Amino acid sequence: MSWNHLRFFVSYLIKYRIGVGLGILALLLTDFAGLAVPWILKEFVDFLPRSPSQIDLLGFAGLLFAAASIQATGRFGWRKYLFGSSRRVEFDILNRVFGHFLILDRPFFQRLRIGDLMSRATNDLRAVRDFMGLGLLILVDSAVVISACFILMTVINPSLAFWVLLPLPLVSILFFSYVETISRRHREVQEHLSVITERVRENIAGIRVLHSFVQEEHEKEKFRELCREYIIRNLRVTRLFGVFTPALVFTIGISGLISLWIGGRAVIEGSMTLGDFVAFNGYLMQLSWPMMGVGYIINLSQRGLVAVSRIDEILSAEPVIRDRAGAVDPGTLEGGIEFRDVSFTYPAAASPSLIGIDLRVNPGQKLAVTGLIGSGKSTLALLIPRLYEVEEGAILVDGRPVTDYPLERLRRDIGYVEQNPFLFSATLRENIALERPDATREEIDEVIENAGLVPDLARFPEGLDTVVGERGVSLSGGQKQRVALARALIKKPRILILDDAFSSLDAETEEIILKRIHTQVRGITTLIITHRLPVVRDADQIIVLDRGTIMERGTHDELMRVGGLYARTCRNQALAREMEITLQ
Amino acid sequence: MSDLNRESLRDIYKDWGLFGRILGYLKPYGFLVTAVIVILFVVSLLNLAGPYLTKIVIDDHIRPSKMEGVDRIALLYLAVLLASFGGQFLQTYLIQFIGQKVMFDLRTQVFAHLHKMSFSFFDRNPIGKVVTRVVNDVEVLNEMLTSGLILIFNDLFTLAGIFCIMFYLDWRLTGVVCLVFPFLYWATQAYRVRARDALRKNRAHVSGLNTFLEENLAGMSTVQMFGREEAHYERFLSIHREKLHEDLRSLQYNALYVPSIDLFNSVGVGLVIWFGGGRFVQEEIQLGVLVAFLQYLQKFFDPVRDMAEKFNIIQTAMVSSERIFELLDTPEEIANPPAPLPVRSVKGEVEFEKVWFAYKDERWVLKDISFSIREGESLAIVGATGSGKSTLINTLCRFYDIQKGAIRIDGMPIQQMRKEDLRRNLALVQQDVYLFSGNVLDNIRLGNRNLGIEEVETIAQAVNSHQFIDRLPYKYEHEIREGGESLSMGQRQLLSFARALAADPRILILDEATSSVDTETEIQIQSAMRQLIQGRTSLIIAHRLSTLKHVDKVLVLKNGEIAEYGTQKELLAKKGTFHKLHSLQAQSHI
Repeated sequence: MSWNHLRFFVSYLIKYRIGVGLGILALLLTDFAGLAVPWILKEFVDFLPRSPSQIDLLGFAGLLFAAASIQATGRFGWRKYLFGSSRRVEFDILNRVFGHFLILDRPFFQRLRIGDLMSRATNDLRAVRDFMGLGLLILVDSAVVISACFILMTVINPSLAFWVLLPLPLVSILFFSYVETISRRHREVQEHLSVITERVRENIAGIRVLHSFVQEEHEKEKFRELCREYIIRNLRVTRLFGVFTPALVFTIGISGLISLWIGGRAVIEGSMTLGDFVAFNGYLMQLSWPMMGVGYIINLSQRGLVAVSRIDEILSAEPVIRDRAGAVDPGTLEGGIEFRDVSFTYPAAASPSLIGIDLRVNPGQKLAVTGLIGSGKSTLALLIPRLYEVEEGAILVDGRPVTDYPLERLRRDIGYVEQNPFLFSATLRENIALERPDATREEIDEVIENAGLVPDLARFPEGLDTVVGERGVSLSGGQKQRVALARALIKKPRILILDDAFSSLDAETEEIILKRIHTQVRGITTLIITHRLPVVRDADQIIVLDRGTIMERGTHDELMRVGGLYARTCRNQALAREMEITLQ
Repeated sequence: MSDLNRESLRDIYKDWGLFGRILGYLKPYGFLVTAVIVILFVVSLLNLAGPYLTKIVIDDHIRPSKMEGVDRIALLYLAVLLASFGGQFLQTYLIQFIGQKVMFDLRTQVFAHLHKMSFSFFDRNPIGKVVTRVVNDVEVLNEMLTSGLILIFNDLFTLAGIFCIMFYLDWRLTGVVCLVFPFLYWATQAYRVRARDALRKNRAHVSGLNTFLEENLAGMSTVQMFGREEAHYERFLSIHREKLHEDLRSLQYNALYVPSIDLFNSVGVGLVIWFGGGRFVQEEIQLGVLVAFLQYLQKFFDPVRDMAEKFNIIQTAMVSSERIFELLDTPEEIANPPAPLPVRSVKGEVEFEKVWFAYKDERWVLKDISFSIREGESLAIVGATGSGKSTLINTLCRFYDIQKGAIRIDGMPIQQMRKEDLRRNLALVQQDVYLFSGNVLDNIRLGNRNLGIEEVETIAQAVNSHQFIDRLPYKYEHEIREGGESLSMGQRQLLSFARALAADPRILILDEATSSVDTETEIQIQSAMRQLIQGRTSLIIAHRLSTLKHVDKVLVLKNGEIAEYGTQKELLAKKGTFHKLHSLQAQSHI
């Protein structure tokens, strides 16, 4: 896996090679200038006993300042170019991710929850950015500084360098045992955090039940318990981490001790100058940061690679539903629908939702679909605009399999209104004219009229410019459903699917709206999924679904004669309806 | 106001105020924090001891060429290293410990606060958003505490420590170095003001970007069905570009400021070489002192650089703290009274007296509602959609507070009881049954955890649930997955009856489900319902005519007002709405 994910990074490195190159160049400059500083100081200390003149001193000071200036310029350079490139990579990846979200289909969004996707697009992306910026920086920096320090120390005094560097392999041994354990413990923390997340989610989703059963204290205690466990797991990571960095510092300290011991003797014996000794120690001290950096890289790269694999899971997800090669757009649909022996099972579901459905609706006809909850009504509707792909059998529109159409054509000519429509936090006008932002005032007025929204709009002070959702007024369920209808009608669809689309309206309003659609929009094929049977008694065809199969089919009169589920439900509902009317 | 929207709050919370509040969470751990600060202090001193010991070795041993006594210093050095090792471990551990504790406090506080929020709060705020507050934002705040706030002390100590040592080594040289400080201060100020502005703008863009992303993910199929992909991509890109712009701007400031510290550093070192070198020549200063001084001076600017980095971390974490505090500051709309009436168990008399209620402003949903139910009586509430039936029940459970009038149980106004006491005496069976993840057993004894398995079985039998539970693979131990999707509507209904019966309330509130189930289940539900209301004060929102047969009183609601109210007999005599319903019922034989 690692190689593939590394390639992901490399592709972006190549794209920003100039920035990254400049950054690395600047980094090298910084490092070398930084390494020059102890050398200058060494020369200075060695020179001191020879009673330097003011000019000499000024020379040293100037040299030092020059080195520092180079160092500062370099530092500015790598910050700007290396970090800047990493921000741009982040920018690119997020754009790519968002762009890819836009082409992914329902099965994908069914599989990965929004919270998860958000966390990938934010937290994981940050880890990738850190790896690209900080990781690359520390990698180059550590490599340069460590090797340069090794070389310079060896140049100054090879035998001293040998003794001083002897404890360092200890560090690498420490590493390897460390990396594996810490990643395991890290994972344990992450897993527990998901448990906490799920607990909070469930508490909010079921808050009415919890409150009416007075379970607040119990839930709080359970939550505290989870949080306590979280502390324990986190501290387990800390214990490991807490040893690691001090251990590195300790190792360097031991090296310093050795240097003092052996180097001190060497100076006294005259085999080493005092200046050499000072510089040697200076280089040794410079090692401590890159040594810690190595630990940091391990951490960053581990997190970065995990994050890349999670982001890559999004980017490499292929939409199942997309245009077939050679899909030809035949122009506006007529509106005939046919199901030929269609069976369908949701991904990861145990049993099929639809079994052997045969169905034919002519253009301009009205089909009503009814049945108990979970009988497959919505599934049937979702398959027509290809929100899911049929695996067995075929669905035809105007005699052509839906898979032969470009998706755009299907979706433009099919209006789909769901029970819980999603409205954007924008004005009502923008929500209604979603597909056609250029719609004229007349067109909008017409669909508002047809959707029965006129009285509601009159009640909003800002009318069509009222902002809905997040920062505006929240609409009632019935209002949302009618906005969704208006939004679908403005497309001038040839096929209109109403998936329990008026469940929040009373039956009377529903009936009025349905009538209006049929008189106003001539020749439109409608598929109405509903529990309210009286509303669809004039449908050309009614089917009753039961556990994925068509149990009854016919016109209202035919089905009433059969005396099955339809007839029974219809009578019950007629009764309930009369009850409702009586109560009005 | 209590919507968790970020736009409005940017001016409510000032950085220092937020900062102070975050620090407030450290208060209970004052002792530990002090301990950490002491340890930090000691560790900084220990880390500084290295160069000083080197100085002693050079001045007292190497230069005079006598090695005696170096062993002692070496041992001392080793001791310092060991102590520093221990100190650093302790410091890391304690900081994390404090951070974890604070996070625990904050998270449980937010969680508890959520349970105080009224239902209108949850109506307004999507679940995902609230979950993010409790989980992610608290996490970010922890990072700020552990890797930012506390460690700043470390930097401050190091800074002060180095300064003192330099002063001790040679105060004149230190004075020379001080010449750099005004410039450093000026640069820092210039950086702080600009970086803060860029970071603040950046964080506003980040939250805008995330909101947009979240919204589009939630409404993706709508975006696709309406062919808005390109337009939304463009919108995303334009928000994202603004964010990148601020990102790069703050980066630019940082990239300028941090290297400028290097320059100040080198100017300082240059001054010391020039000035100190001269003094050495005049033999006013020892070589060891000069070397040590130079070494310290080089370390002096590290903490300054470090603090500039931490400034970034802290600024970013401010977004999260804003959001958390905003949630915590959302007032509890329905609070317990300061001096609640003592309530043990009630008899079950329910009384509404001239109750008026509106969700918003003066749009009354309930108008002048008055009725009363005696202990053990049952009342059916009927009315058209939107007539206020559910609202009536919600006010009785005190999910919302009424504006006028009074609701009393056993003569006590419910507003003067603790909410918990009130609800313990009620059981609410809702239309949409919510099942929690866990097994069947725990879902049934939700309101009464002490019930044993036998008792639960008896209860389940009483409401016709035992049969189907017994057929589940693990029976009562059967795990219910998210939302209980493996159970049918009817089964879930029956399970919720069992749940209510297990709570054994004096007052039962039942919102009859409207969804159709098969006839057999329907019969089971009806008989279970009769069992449930037996001997309890019951309020039933009736959607089925058949339900009306089993109740003592009926209340007909119309547009939030009582149209008819009385016993079956009284209402029949009236020959109004109820009479019509009754004759309908008679025709239908269900």
